[in-house]
Amino acid sequence: THLNVADNSGARELMCIRVIGASNRRYAHIGDVIVAVIKEAVPNTPLERSEVIRAVIVRTCKELKRDNGMIIRYDDNAAVVIDQEGNPKGTRIFGAIARELRQLNFTKIVSLAPE
Amino acid sequence: MAVSTTTLSIGGNTFSGHLRQWEPHESKLLKKPRKHFRWLCLNELHLPRFRTKTSNFNPARGLLPSLHAYGKEADDAFLSNVNEDTDEMFGDLMKKYGKVVYRKNDRKSQSAELDDDAESLSFAVAMAKVASEVKAGDIRVLFVKPLVYWTRFFIICTAFSRPQIDAIGSKIRDLAEKKYGKIPTGDTKPNSWTLLDFGDVVIHIFLPQQRDFYNLEEFYGNATQIELPSENQPPFRS
Repeated sequence: THLNVADNSGARELMCIRVIGASNRRYAHIGDVIVAVIKEAVPNTPLERSEVIRAVIVRTCKELKRDNGMIIRYDDNAAVVIDQEGNPKGTRIFGAIARELRQLNFTKIVSLAPE
Repeated sequence: MAVSTTTLSIGGNTFSGHLRQWEPHESKLLKKPRKHFRWLCLNELHLPRFRTKTSNFNPARGLLPSLHAYGKEADDAFLSNVNEDTDEMFGDLMKKYGKVVYRKNDRKSQSAELDDDAESLSFAVAMAKVASEVKAGDIRVLFVKPLVYWTRFFIICTAFSRPQIDAIGSKIRDLAEKKYGKIPTGDTKPNSWTLLDFGDVVIHIFLPQQRDFYNLEEFYGNATQIELPSENQPPFRS
């Protein structure tokens, strides 16, 4: 899938290549790490087009269900570029971030996000 | 237009029959007159009877799926009017009676919240003291509760080498577990940006370059800082 990038790392659009976590996994949800290739990048940044990087999905058009019955659905699919250690590559995150990322040990992304 | 008048006079069953004929032809053109027709229906028929009519013909007929959507769309037009009316009705009722009928008891009282804050504050200050013992640089405690809903305090400190990050992390973890019984979620392996999440208090441990790169203090510049009793200020190694 094509995903927007929700941070200022320099990429604009990513195409998902693989879902990390289990072999033969069909779909990735919010909080999953994916391998993606950069399809579109902002010029003059360390990230270039057609570079293979890892990213965490932060927003999906598919609903996210919570245990208390709440369902959250966003209007776009977005991801945040991270490095091998799990640190986000950009310095600021744009858009809303679901609380679930905190439970999945992505508190760094949550702490860089607005509101 | 002539077709619509005939159906108006007749009623439920023939109405659906006619629809089936309309559907394959000019569906777009007939959308508008159909809505109009529905509205007239509203005025004429008594409300509950109108409702039963719709509930009757939809499942009983086995209509084409596109026809279903058609009917639903007209239904929505009808329902939206109802929603506006009910909103006004509720607003009036609230003004008249204006009582809190149900309050979710999620919110703690002011004093309880302050107590929690004080507890978290003491925890944070203790952690900061531990960090200063291990010679972490530039320790800041930020009160981010008004800005961020998911935590109360941030502690930001700099460690000058990876083993030092490890040391700070393990000392903080041990103290938290012993004294307060809190176990942090967060990075287990030392990272250039290590994060320890204790629920109300989040501790960030940076390497100097990372601290400049992410610049969290600027991001949370609106948060009030807490003064720390600085016993030994280590010389800043750059």
